[in-house]
Amino acid sequence: MPTELIYGAISFLLTLMVLSYLIGDNALFRFAIHVFVGVSAGYVAAVAIYQVIWPYLLIPLVTASMLERALLVVPLVFSALILMKISPRLSWLGGPAVGYLVGAGAAVAIGGAALGTILPQVNAAAEPFDVIGLIQRGGNPWQSVFNGVVMLVGTISTLAYFHFGASRKTDGSVKRNGLIEALAWLGKLFVALTLGVLFAGVYAAALSAFVERIQSLLSLFGF
Amino acid sequence: MKKRPVATIIAISVGVIVLLGTFIPIPLFATVRLELVQWAMILAGVAVLVGIGNLFSVHFQKIRRREKGSVYSVTLLVAMLATLFVGVMVGPSHAWMQGAVEAIIIPVEASLMALLAVTLVYASIRLLRRRAGLMSVIFLGTAALILLASVSLPLIGEIPFLSDWIRPWLMFGPAAGGARGLLLGVALGALLTGLRALFAFDRPYGGK
Repeated sequence: MPTELIYGAISFLLTLMVLSYLIGDNALFRFAIHVFVGVSAGYVAAVAIYQVIWPYLLIPLVTASMLERALLVVPLVFSALILMKISPRLSWLGGPAVGYLVGAGAAVAIGGAALGTILPQVNAAAEPFDVIGLIQRGGNPWQSVFNGVVMLVGTISTLAYFHFGASRKTDGSVKRNGLIEALAWLGKLFVALTLGVLFAGVYAAALSAFVERIQSLLSLFGF
Repeated sequence: MKKRPVATIIAISVGVIVLLGTFIPIPLFATVRLELVQWAMILAGVAVLVGIGNLFSVHFQKIRRREKGSVYSVTLLVAMLATLFVGVMVGPSHAWMQGAVEAIIIPVEASLMALLAVTLVYASIRLLRRRAGLMSVIFLGTAALILLASVSLPLIGEIPFLSDWIRPWLMFGPAAGGARGLLLGVALGALLTGLRALFAFDRPYGGK
């Protein structure tokens, strides 16, 4: 039996099992999901061993120079410590290794947020107002400035919607500043509109997947 | 809860050195940062194995206690151990492992995505029935408008004005502004969470 046919048959059965959820939660759906989680976990573990631990830790420990080997003792010790997390009795030993991961992760997240999102987005927000550059490139400055204003209002009001700072009044009630309140209401409109556009994109992708799955089911019977 | 001074000192010092390497353009800092991030990558790889070990432990306990639905746990463990054994023996890029991806992982992922198409419609109808406010109408109205403007209808094709004017303007005007606000909000949140972890206000590694 050719391997393609075996793969096709397994794929067909699993697709049917998952789509059976449309008639309600059932044993076939749960079976397919547990197989999926098991295979995915095994695959991810194999990838972690083959593409991270083996080439970056174990092979250099044997083949690299003395200095590099000495440096690799640090991740080796931390790896041993993090493995202690599996045992509830020895789990406290993994604290320093998790601390290392948290520290490095936090610093990478800060750098990524500042250099990868905040600065580029602020630059992109200012770009439509570069009227001189736009005229030199032969663009329409009025349209660009109008779009820039709409986007800027959308950005500021969306940020205001998530601003929850408020002061306490003399009567004990807590209320946001009037300007922030008005901007937040406008921001709510922008958020609803943005999520609507995103929803349409996700729905189109889900619908494409649905059509592709139905086609794959039919193709096994030669349709 | 016990104090964890060693974990806190390691978290702060590693975080500060990596940050210095990111923002200060001195080759020494950049080299040290690269080495520290590579070690973190190795640790993350080992942490993945710990997570999978925990998944094994949870389902093994379920089977040992003969809990309800433990037959699914048997399925999961057999699938996991078989894939892991073959993966370790032949490597993840071998044809057998790619077969597992093509026959199991991709079809199930695509089928779950397909289920999403139905559940999203159901959720939209429920939203209109339960919370039929202005925001719900704007949200669903925009989604319907974008979908309608994206399709090519029989006989007339794309809807004029809607497809070539309203949809691009909505997507690259107000929606782009809102998305930028959301992105900046997420980035500011990530920045603040990172700083809280770095200054040890939040200690996910334990300690007080």
